[in-house]
Amino acid sequence: MITMESREKHADELFKEFRETSITEFFRKNRAHLGYSGKLRSLTTVVHEIVTNALDACEEAGILPEIQVRIDALNSEHYRVFGADNGPGIPLKHISDVFGKMLAGTKFHRNVQLRGQQGIGIAGVTLFSQITTGKPIKVRTSTGNGRVYEIELMIDITKNRADILSKEEYSQYWRGTELDVELKGVKFNLSERGPFEYLRRTAIANPHARIIFIDPEGRKTVFERSSERIPKPPMAIKVHPKGLEVDDLINMSKVTKARKVSSFLVNTLSRMSNAKVREIQEHVSFDLNKNPRRLTWAECEEIINAIEKIKFLAPPTEGLEAIGEEQIRNAVLNILDPEFEAVVTRPPKVHSGGIPFLVEAAIAYGGHAGRVIGDGIKCEIMRFGNKAPLLFDAGGCAITKAVNSVEWKRYGIRDFENSPITIFVNLVSTYIPYTSAGKQSVAEDREIMREMRFALMEVGRKFQVYHSRKRRALEREARKQILLKYSIELASGLAKLTNKNEDKILKELQNLIEERITGMEIEEAEEGIAGEELEPTLEGESEDNSEAHRIEEVE
Amino acid sequence: MERQKVISKLTHLGGEITDEIMLHGSPKIRIPQRSIGNIHFNEKENLLELGDKMSTRSFLNVAHSRKFMQTILIASKCKEFVSRNKTASIRELYYQLKHTIPGTRENTFDDQSESDPLIVDLEIALGVLREELHLKADDKGTLIGRITIEDSGDFIDCSKLGRSGLSIPSIVEHYRFHDVEADYVLVIETGAMFDRLVEEKYHLKNNCIMVSTKGQAARGCRRLVHRLNHELKLPVIAFTDGDPWGYYIYSVMKAGSMALAHESKRLGTPKMKLVGMTMTDIDTYGLERVTEKLKDIDKKRINELLQYPWFQKKEWKKELSLMSKKGVRIEQQALASKSLEFVAEEYLPEKIEKNIMLP
Repeated sequence: MITMESREKHADELFKEFRETSITEFFRKNRAHLGYSGKLRSLTTVVHEIVTNALDACEEAGILPEIQVRIDALNSEHYRVFGADNGPGIPLKHISDVFGKMLAGTKFHRNVQLRGQQGIGIAGVTLFSQITTGKPIKVRTSTGNGRVYEIELMIDITKNRADILSKEEYSQYWRGTELDVELKGVKFNLSERGPFEYLRRTAIANPHARIIFIDPEGRKTVFERSSERIPKPPMAIKVHPKGLEVDDLINMSKVTKARKVSSFLVNTLSRMSNAKVREIQEHVSFDLNKNPRRLTWAECEEIINAIEKIKFLAPPTEGLEAIGEEQIRNAVLNILDPEFEAVVTRPPKVHSGGIPFLVEAAIAYGGHAGRVIGDGIKCEIMRFGNKAPLLFDAGGCAITKAVNSVEWKRYGIRDFENSPITIFVNLVSTYIPYTSAGKQSVAEDREIMREMRFALMEVGRKFQVYHSRKRRALEREARKQILLKYSIELASGLAKLTNKNEDKILKELQNLIEERITGMEIEEAEEGIAGEELEPTLEGESEDNSEAHRIEEVE
Repeated sequence: MERQKVISKLTHLGGEITDEIMLHGSPKIRIPQRSIGNIHFNEKENLLELGDKMSTRSFLNVAHSRKFMQTILIASKCKEFVSRNKTASIRELYYQLKHTIPGTRENTFDDQSESDPLIVDLEIALGVLREELHLKADDKGTLIGRITIEDSGDFIDCSKLGRSGLSIPSIVEHYRFHDVEADYVLVIETGAMFDRLVEEKYHLKNNCIMVSTKGQAARGCRRLVHRLNHELKLPVIAFTDGDPWGYYIYSVMKAGSMALAHESKRLGTPKMKLVGMTMTDIDTYGLERVTEKLKDIDKKRINELLQYPWFQKKEWKKELSLMSKKGVRIEQQALASKSLEFVAEEYLPEKIEKNIMLP
C-alpha cells in the first residue's frame, strides 16, 4: 500500500500536457467515424469512453481501478448511463476542459501507448448526449482533498468550450469521478458488439480492474480483479531507427533544434549512439556534421539505407505496456474458466516509422470459452488495441485476418469455427495503424501481421501438445472400455472351455488390462518429454528469425 | 477324428489362453493366414494349398478384441455340441451365442456373417473339420441321375425324385454310393439351366449325373463331386456362364478356394473340364446378339483372375484375354435364343462328344 501511495501522482500533473484542437465541428460532420454510428455502437462507444478514461487515469495515478457502469432504460431507444470510478478525480479547473471541450488529448502528441487512442474522448459523450437529448451531463468528482464538485455542463459548439449550467461544491472525503448521462437513439443488447461484451473483454485485458455492470434489467455482473499489479504508466519514447522511413526522417529533420545531423540522429532516435553515427558515416557520401534542416531526400535515403546495414538494440520496451503472460492467464482463468489455455507475449518489434509494438495472444478452450449461439458454440476472436476491446469492423481487421490465416487444423483443431475456443489478441503499440478514425479495425501492416501470426502459431503449438495428450488419454480410456467390455464374455467362454473358475479368470483379465493401459500411459509420458524438446516449427509457417536477430542482437 | 480328441483340442486352446492371462502376458490365438499371400498353387496336383504363414489374433489389440472374444465363444459352444453329441447348423450356433453383452447395448454377434468366417478360423487353427466340431451348413445344391445313395440306412434312388432332385446337405461323409449307371457328372452353375436340362431329360438321354451348384459351390456339393470323381472314377464336366464369375466357380470346384485352401485335397476335383460357355461359342453358334457388355467390375475381376497362379494355363489366359478383347460375357441361358431344346439336343452332346472343352 505504501509503495502504491508513493506512485500516485497529483492529478494536476496529468493535465499539464493538454493541448487543444478545435474539432467540435469535425465531430458533428464525422460522427460516424468516431464511433457514434448505429444505435448499439453509439452506446458501446459511450461505455468505452467512460471506462477507458477511468482506466487510463487510474493507471497514470497508480490506483487499482474499481469501475461501475449502470445502464437504465428510460424509454424506447432512450437510456441513462451512469459510470463511477475510484480514480484520481479531476481538479475543478480541468473539469470543463475534460468534459466540455473537444480535445485531441495528450496521446495524439506523444509517442505513447494509451487505450484512449480509440474514440474521441469523454467530451464526445457530452456532445453526443446533448445532440440526442438536449440535456447536460452530470459530473461528480473529487481528488480526495475534501472538496466534492457536482457540475452540470454542455458544450458550446461554436466556441468549443464548456457551458456550465450548475455547479455545487461541498465537503466530503471521497475520491473518484461519477458521470451521469442521458442518450437517445441508442439501443442496448447482449450481442457481441454490446456494452456487456465490451466490459467482459475489458476485464480480460485489464485483470487489475474490478468492473461492475448493471444492465437495464437490473442484472448485476461483477468481473472480479485477478491481479493486484497495476500496469506501469506508459512513457513517451523515441523512434527506433529500424523501419524508419525517408519521409519520417525528412519531417523530423525540419523541426529539430540540433545543429548537426549527427546530434539530430542521436537525439531523435532511440538506440542511436555516437558509435552508431560513425558507422552510418562510413556508409554515406556526405558529412554528417551538416545542418539537419538542409538534408535532402536523397541524403535521407542514404541514411535509411545505412541504417538497414547496421545492427541496433531492440527498441526499448518501456514505452510499451504489455498485459503480460501471467496476467492474461489469470484473467482468462478468472473469466473464461477454460479446460486449457495458452498465452504468449512476443518480444517487441517495430513497424513502419520505427514505432515499437508487440503482440500478445492467448487461446482458451472449453469452459466458458467461445460464444454460445443458439444450441451451438462458435469460436470467438477477442481483439484488443492497447488493451481496449475492438468490437466493430471485425471483417476488415488485420487481427481477424491473422487468426483466419492460421491453419488451425495443423494444431489439432478440426472445426475451428464451431469449437469452444476464445482467441485473444492484444496489439500493443505507441501507435496502432487503424483503418479508419473509428479505430475498431487494425490496418494490415506486414510486420504486425507477421508477429500476430507467430504469436497465434505459438499458442496453437501449445494447444496441440495439450490436445494430443488429451486425445491420447481419451483413446486409452476408450481402449480400456473396449477391452473390459469384451473381457466378461471372454472369461465366460474360457471358463466353459477349461472348466476353470470364471470369476478368477475375469479378475486376472481385468488386472492385466489395467496394467497394460497404465504401461501405455507411462510410455507416452516419456515420449512426450522428448517430443516437447524438439517441438518442430511447422513447414511453411516456419519462423524466419533472421530479421528478429538483426534487431535483437547486441552491438 | 474321435470326439474326445476334438474336445481335448478345444480345451487345450482355452487352457493356453487362460495361462497367458494368469501370467499377465498377451492372450492370443495363432491362425494360418487365409489370404492370397499364403496360398500356393501346386501345379502337379492342380490344387491350392495353404502355406505356413500365421496371423496372430491378440485380445489386447482393440482391433482384434471383439473377434477374439467371438472366436472363444464359438470354441466353447462347439465343445458343448461335441460333448453332448449334437450337431447344429451354423445358423443355430449363431443364435445360440447371440446375446447382449452385459452392461452394454452391444451384441456378441450382430450377424451370421460375423460368426461364419470365425468357424473356418477355428477349424484351421485346431486342424479339425467343421463336421468334427459338430457344425453343419444349410443344404445347397441339387443332384439328379441314375445313382442310389445310402443315407443313414435309407436308400435314395436319385433318378426317382421327380424334377426336384436330391438336395445336397453340407455333410456328405456318411453317403454310400450304389447302382451307379452314369458315364459322367455334369456340374451346372445355375438352377435355371439345371431345370431346363431336367425337363429335357438330358441326364437320362445322355446317361449322366447332374449337379447344380446354384452359384458358388458349397462345401457339401464340392465334397460330393470330389467323391463321385475319386471313388466312382466318373469324369466331371462343368457348365457355367461365360464370365469371370462362372470361371471362378469352375476353378474353385477344380482346384479349391483360398478360404478353404486347407481342405483342397478333400474338396477339389483337379481332373474336371469345362464345356462352356466359352468365347469361341459366340462365334461357333452365332451368339453375338445375345452377349452382354462387360461391366467395370467384370473387367476388374478378369484382371484379378489373370494374376492367380492357377489361371496361368495358356487356354485360360487365351479365354480371359479374348473376353477382355470382345468386351462381352455370355450366359448359359443365352443358348435359348436358338431354341429351348438346343442346349440339350445340340450344344452339350456335340461339345462333349467332340471333347471341345477347356482343361
